[in-house]
Amino acid sequence: MDITEILEKLCKSGGVSGDETETSEIALSYLKEYDKNAFIKNGSVFGKIGNGGKKILLDAHIDRIGFIVTSITDDGFIKVANCGGIDKRLLPALPVKIYGNKTIDGVFVSVPPHLASEEKPLAVNEMYIDTGYSKEELEKILSLGDTISFDTTFKKLLGNRVSGSALDDRSGVAAILYALELLKNENLNCELQILFSTEEEVGERGATTGAFYLNPDIAIAVDVSFAYASGEKEDKCGKMGKGVMIGISPSLDRELSHTLISIAKEKNIPYQTEVMSGRTGTNADRFSVNREGACASTLSIPLKYMHTPTEIIDTDDIVSVSKLIAEYVKGVK
Amino acid sequence: MLKELCLLNGGSGDEKAVREFIINEIKDYCDYRVDNLGNLICEKKGKETPKSKIMIAAHMDEVALIITSVKSDGSLVFSAVGGIEPATIMGKRVTVNGMPGVIGSPAVHNLSASEKDENPKMSSLYIDIGAENKEEAEKYVSLGDMAYFDSEFIEFGDGKIRCKAIDDRAGCGMMIDMIKGEIPFDTTFVFTVQEEIGTRGAKTSTFSVNPDIAIVLETTTAADIPLSEGDKKVCIQKKGAVVSFMDRGTIYDRELYKLAFSVANEKGIPVQTKSVVAGGNDSGAIHITGDGVRTMAISIPCRYLHSPSCVADKSDIKACYDLCLAVLSEVGKL
Repeated sequence: MDITEILEKLCKSGGVSGDETETSEIALSYLKEYDKNAFIKNGSVFGKIGNGGKKILLDAHIDRIGFIVTSITDDGFIKVANCGGIDKRLLPALPVKIYGNKTIDGVFVSVPPHLASEEKPLAVNEMYIDTGYSKEELEKILSLGDTISFDTTFKKLLGNRVSGSALDDRSGVAAILYALELLKNENLNCELQILFSTEEEVGERGATTGAFYLNPDIAIAVDVSFAYASGEKEDKCGKMGKGVMIGISPSLDRELSHTLISIAKEKNIPYQTEVMSGRTGTNADRFSVNREGACASTLSIPLKYMHTPTEIIDTDDIVSVSKLIAEYVKGVK
Repeated sequence: MLKELCLLNGGSGDEKAVREFIINEIKDYCDYRVDNLGNLICEKKGKETPKSKIMIAAHMDEVALIITSVKSDGSLVFSAVGGIEPATIMGKRVTVNGMPGVIGSPAVHNLSASEKDENPKMSSLYIDIGAENKEEAEKYVSLGDMAYFDSEFIEFGDGKIRCKAIDDRAGCGMMIDMIKGEIPFDTTFVFTVQEEIGTRGAKTSTFSVNPDIAIVLETTTAADIPLSEGDKKVCIQKKGAVVSFMDRGTIYDRELYKLAFSVANEKGIPVQTKSVVAGGNDSGAIHITGDGVRTMAISIPCRYLHSPSCVADKSDIKACYDLCLAVLSEVGKL
């Protein structure tokens, strides 16, 4: 199984929050290797492996941040609202993919310096996207409510590092798929539930309904977290290439965190701890309070430049997440 | 060919790849020489000998970044070579010595409310090539290496193109086509260096060519976006070649300016002028070389200049090409 190839396929697809189907279909095709009955419901991908015993949920969100078309100007430019947390400072001259009845290219406008009256960046809803079309031509392709993502270029950097948009959280999807690959010849003593959930970026909504549907006892949210990069605070970040970040937080199950840490130690899986002081900002926040509650944990992949078109991860870190999941699941009695 | 030209990397002072590509294109169609600064000077025979010596110029260099130091964490510190807005490169891709990298900066989640609302400063940006530390980075990068925008050449919308370096590879492309074709009068075509850091190549090449009349083929800012109104749009795409009366470097020869419009109208070539006195190009150096050169500029209206995503309209490029040839037929008689 080539993790980089899976990542590239996932990252090159759209799948902005609320419009995930294109990406969910790709993830489903990979998941069907392990659960031929896997399916898509309300945009999220569901799978189940094994029967009986505890219900253990492995989740990663399938959506990516992006934009939604709110209007088309008389001269054929698009106005948008954000889906998820957008850094407005990087929008000028940013290439985008526009998902109308076909996918077209566009670019955010940039005000030339001699006309820029304000020092401050414009808000997302004050910006325009240039499609190169007249309004009349554009309306044949695009409807209000269609989604737009960052440019989807994917690049291999030095070592095992890769860069692209939507590595948050397609890296998590790849990590779960690779964990299933590691587990494929094992007899499980649990019901392993797989969820690739929608709308995390707008408030963990796919996780809310997905967890209700699955009703897990134990839930692991696989997501990305901050890797140290120049300009960041070193003590608030994980380190890229140094392994899975195991979450410890009042909102997570302490015993589960410690179990995961001891397995990582025992099996020589590179790991680091990520201590949070309340909610985690991941789908785990929903899982822990689902129905009658679940023991939740976060396993995170260190990522640089979160929510930019050029996020970076190290695929070695994905491997350590997958290995830890596999060893944990194997050990469940 | 424009796609190939735009995707070549050639920042100011590092134009070699562009120059070699052009030489390979034009070598069978003219006599050429390269001067000490790197300008490519091409003597092309026309159907007739003009009364005045005519030069047509476009610059080979593009805006780029130059690596000034390597940090202990392996990130690369850079300065801009030419005028670049930090916001247009933040979060975008670059290449360094052919390797992909990205322009990094702290994640938005980790900024204070006031930091989120400030435009990025060049000094807060850096290049990340995925190196683990300084030692690894230095295996691949030396100080003084240039980094280039990593853009694709995209055709989109109704006849638009999007890429880096359309400024001024589009001008280079037009000159290559003219050299390969038939032109009405003998002309010296000059592919200049170092325009983006102060029209430096134009100074030496014009001194050596010593023309009477010069035509500069360029790109110019089109601000025809909804964020600007009326005359602030400067010039408008799909409305043809832009002929300026004045910019920050040049007050253009009045007679040539009028000639351009009358020739364009006669031939049905779309033409417009700039409604804002802004910007500048090689004309600034050319027109005050020696005892002076009568100069005009014919420019492609281009959106998002000096960014990784310049946008031009193919119909405007054609208008510039047609107008340049039509003007050449007339200035040869002056």
